[in-house]
Amino acid sequence: MDEAPVLDQVLLQPSCRVGADFDAWLWDVGGSGLEAALEDPGRILDMVKAADLRGLGGSGFPTWVKWSAVAAQTGEKYLICNGNEDEPGTFKDRVLMEECPHQLIEGATIAALACGIQQIVFYINPHLTGAIDAVRRALHQWQQSEWPERIARATGFQVVYRVQPSSGHYIGGEETAAIESVEGKFPFPRVKPPYPTEHGVHGRPTLINNVETLSNLPHLLRNGVDWFRRQGLGDAAGTKVYSLSGDVLRPGVYELPMGTPLSDLLYRYGEGMLVGKKLKAVFTGGPSNTILTPKDIDVPMDFESVAARRSALGTGAMIAVSQGTGIVKKVGEYVSFFASSSCGQCPSCKTGTYYMSQLLNRIGTGQGTRSDLDSLINLCTILPGSGRCHLINGAVKVLESSLYHFMDEYEQSLRGPHT
Amino acid sequence: MTEDAKKLINLRINGKDICAPEALSVIQALWYAGYPRVKGVGCLQGVCGSCRVFVRRAESSEVSTELGCELLIEEGMDVSFLIYPIPPYQTYRLDEIPNSWEVQAKFHEIFPEAAQCRHCGGCTTTCPKDIDVEKGVELAVKGRFREAGELFVQCVMCNLCQTACPELITPNHVALFSRRVTAYFHTRPSNLINRLEKMRKGELQVVE
Amino acid sequence: MATNTPYDAAIRRYQPLAERPLPDSAELGDALLERYHPDYIPDRFVELTVGPNAGDPCHRQLADVLQSDSRIDEADLAASAEVETDVLVIGGGGAGCSAALEAARAGARVILATKLRLGDSNTVMAEGGIQASVEKDDTPQMHYDDTVKGASGQIDRKLAAQMVMDGPDVIRWLIQQGMQFDLDQYGDLLARRAGGTSAPRVLYFRDYTGLEMMRVLREAVFNSDVEVWDYCPAVELLSDQSGHCAGAVLSSLKDYRYSLIKAKSVIVATGGIGRLHLNGFPTSNHFGAVGDGLVLAYRLGAKLRDLDTFQYHPTGLAYPHHLGGTLITEGVRSAGAYLLNAACERFIDELRPRDHVAAAIIRECAEGRGVDAGHGESGVWLDTPSIELRHPGIIEQRFPKLLHLGTKSGIDPREQPMLIYPTLHYQNGGVVINRQGASTVPGLYCIGEVCGGVHGRNRLMGNSLLEIISFGRRAGTAAAKRVHGVGMRQKKVSLEHLRAFRRELMLAQMPLTQQSPLLFPEYAKFEKDSDYDGLRRNTRVDDDG
Repeated sequence: MDEAPVLDQVLLQPSCRVGADFDAWLWDVGGSGLEAALEDPGRILDMVKAADLRGLGGSGFPTWVKWSAVAAQTGEKYLICNGNEDEPGTFKDRVLMEECPHQLIEGATIAALACGIQQIVFYINPHLTGAIDAVRRALHQWQQSEWPERIARATGFQVVYRVQPSSGHYIGGEETAAIESVEGKFPFPRVKPPYPTEHGVHGRPTLINNVETLSNLPHLLRNGVDWFRRQGLGDAAGTKVYSLSGDVLRPGVYELPMGTPLSDLLYRYGEGMLVGKKLKAVFTGGPSNTILTPKDIDVPMDFESVAARRSALGTGAMIAVSQGTGIVKKVGEYVSFFASSSCGQCPSCKTGTYYMSQLLNRIGTGQGTRSDLDSLINLCTILPGSGRCHLINGAVKVLESSLYHFMDEYEQSLRGPHT
Repeated sequence: MTEDAKKLINLRINGKDICAPEALSVIQALWYAGYPRVKGVGCLQGVCGSCRVFVRRAESSEVSTELGCELLIEEGMDVSFLIYPIPPYQTYRLDEIPNSWEVQAKFHEIFPEAAQCRHCGGCTTTCPKDIDVEKGVELAVKGRFREAGELFVQCVMCNLCQTACPELITPNHVALFSRRVTAYFHTRPSNLINRLEKMRKGELQVVE
Repeated sequence: MATNTPYDAAIRRYQPLAERPLPDSAELGDALLERYHPDYIPDRFVELTVGPNAGDPCHRQLADVLQSDSRIDEADLAASAEVETDVLVIGGGGAGCSAALEAARAGARVILATKLRLGDSNTVMAEGGIQASVEKDDTPQMHYDDTVKGASGQIDRKLAAQMVMDGPDVIRWLIQQGMQFDLDQYGDLLARRAGGTSAPRVLYFRDYTGLEMMRVLREAVFNSDVEVWDYCPAVELLSDQSGHCAGAVLSSLKDYRYSLIKAKSVIVATGGIGRLHLNGFPTSNHFGAVGDGLVLAYRLGAKLRDLDTFQYHPTGLAYPHHLGGTLITEGVRSAGAYLLNAACERFIDELRPRDHVAAAIIRECAEGRGVDAGHGESGVWLDTPSIELRHPGIIEQRFPKLLHLGTKSGIDPREQPMLIYPTLHYQNGGVVINRQGASTVPGLYCIGEVCGGVHGRNRLMGNSLLEIISFGRRAGTAAAKRVHGVGMRQKKVSLEHLRAFRRELMLAQMPLTQQSPLLFPEYAKFEKDSDYDGLRRNTRVDDDG
């Protein structure tokens, strides 16, 4: 008998899922992390570093690096809580915002304390109306409480909070695009450098963190670094909120230890594939989605382990597809998503993704020729790095990954020889 | 300038490594190396817009869009042909526009996306003829069709701006509309009209 | 072969001057054409052995294509789709588009099939302009007289007369399609002279006349009821029991299949033959110009004419190499640009008819007075700075394409001359037609460069753009009208005429090793492209060996 699955253990534990009910939040978990932060704000950054907290919006970038860059600057600074979640298969931030808005607000406040930030913007996808509503109501409760005053006394400045729906463009989730959007402009990614940590909203240093990343902070501060590290399996630290979808029996949001094997997520929690079919591939979600295959079923789902399999953990979205799914067609759908999401500034991205989706469509419907396939392969070498943001790289990555794992299928999809 | 001019250039076209004498265009180099190329070849003089290519030059991460027939090969270049069908999205007939007062309203009916321009500048960046495409769309949206059309004198309808537009505007067709209505409603040369009138009256004949 | 001056040395010698007199020594002599025009190179012509023109002289390379076997057999068509229409137009250039538009306007169902994309044609590359007598000192009669005179005899006078009379209305029609022309400050059409014209008569839009015309006509077709089949070269015409034209076999470069189009009228508007590179010349022609229409019409029994005469445009770019053959409009010479040899001397009146000017350039190079362009090529200077000196700003205003070409060549034509050499430009002869564009085969219309007679043995600048619209519109209307004629019930179609043609070939002991139409120039390696394996190849015999 397996032991009972440990589910939803930290961020999504029942006492955090209280919605916009400040009292319920404070009754159990809430407040103590912030108390600890206020006691010694100078310690927060060290804790974040020691805990190996990562950017959970897809990058896996060490959080402390960005933080210390912002903390080192003076004057007015911004924090953007990135809730623009929009990529296929990712739906975790929505749950964290709808059900645990106070956890997010407290986490954001801790980040502001650590980095000396006065302006906090909750930047949320406008299609997530429930999330916007919950964060707004929770913020209202927060502002009525004693906390803002206490923070002002401790820091000597007033932290200003606001909720700002994003434009609803996928590209608005990109850091510099989010900054443009917060400034009231169309979310065009900017050329980097300068990086947001130096030159962000209105030219001020700006920290941009994903909702899940920030939601970890109250727990880290309350329970300490050792506890946080113990939540992960192996070398991985903390938990991860995975979004499971596709041809599984029980799709959904699962918070599991960082480093949980893919097989556990698919079979133990997802309860396996539909109608007894075999697993064919898993598309990992996020800005650079890639493919895992059945031979990767044992992979621990943390940033390093997944990367070692030529893939990327991304946002922790796992889209499982079963035997019988056309990979070319599926990849075509992803690439089309990128094509329709490209902001237009870089023709290599907009036209490149468009052309890739045309070729995929041609091959996927049996009309493709050998030269169409050659063109696809060629685009994988010519396009990466040509855009000012990573969108084109993401589109190439999923294509390249599928070519690597499923070249046979591409070749079999080509037009048969005529006699 | 005889045989000594035959310096060889190494580059990659459509994923094929190619070594060809300098002074060849991309298309000529591909043929020189013995690879077939039919689609994506047209006038070979830069006016038909058939041979769109992506180009990445050595030591650069930038990818530009150019016309393969006009593009001289360079060492380390990586080139990919862009061959795809690009049907126009809209249909219109000039004779359905009742008079020149109605052109602007009709324009916005035919090209509703044009007013949605987000000013990303991609169309202008991608244009192999260096046309200020975005400005042209903006002028057309304001009803300044003559001016808009003037910007597109060099347009070869390669359609690169059409695929570059995230708002699904078809800038080249917007421009062509602008040019066409200008002629249709405003080109009324008296020398031509006089001549047509004389011919109508049978005053001019040809004796073989 | 004489040694010409190397490019670098010659360009150093060049000094821009506004005026240069024509030396008296530049007298032509009657022998110029015979000695230097490529139409007179001995051994380049053969007598056709089979077909309606058996016994007529024909350029050797063209004869090879005309007297080839078909690309297909009936067996290839076994699983082909059959589509019916009223009018089938083959060719998507200016002639094909205007014919399709007029046929559709007359109520016919129209399919327009084109080898590559709609508008891929020589029309789009025409630069200088279109002739129509609209100036008050000009008349259709003068236009006619110039056309006949420039034609060096052998012109079909009826066709020429009709065409010049159509001129002004053709311009009106084009304006109604939305085409712009260069106008003066009062909105009148500007006209310029051309080689061999007695009045300013060439109407133009910068040096992009053909581009402007083509993009407008293409847009008009896309927005009409004409059904466009792009990437669908025709490989054979279809005949009915009476041997009349009844449709065509198209081969799709998109799904690699054949289709049978049954049509009551077929209009062939496939253009010329520049990409056959006759006599090894570079060409100003579109990639697809390999004489497909001539082949199709000839096999079905259409009479051709003047197959031994071709136009070499005097000013094709000779340097840099990668843009070799690119056209520079005669408009530049109309505006007064000189032609200079390596010694910077003029050697001919630049506005003589094209055949004379081309021959004179060839003479200069052959006799060592040219400039060596490298890669075995040579040329003479087109003295563009001279017109800029006389009319500052003219190149930017009137010749944007020239300026763009200069940019691509690394040469500023306002300061440096361009090196040019004649480029194979136009097929003077072609299918014999009547005033409606009808060939000698009932049901088959031929318009544009594919037909002959309109220009005799030498065409004037600006008459081809006029011809394609004049005859295009007429053929479109006539073909649509024919649909409702008596006896137009749908008939049985076949490739019966192929059997007859093959018999002739075999009886004449012609080798059946080559197939045509070529569809593409040899260097495009269409026959080797595995993408097109589904379509029969042109190398059938190789399979045995």
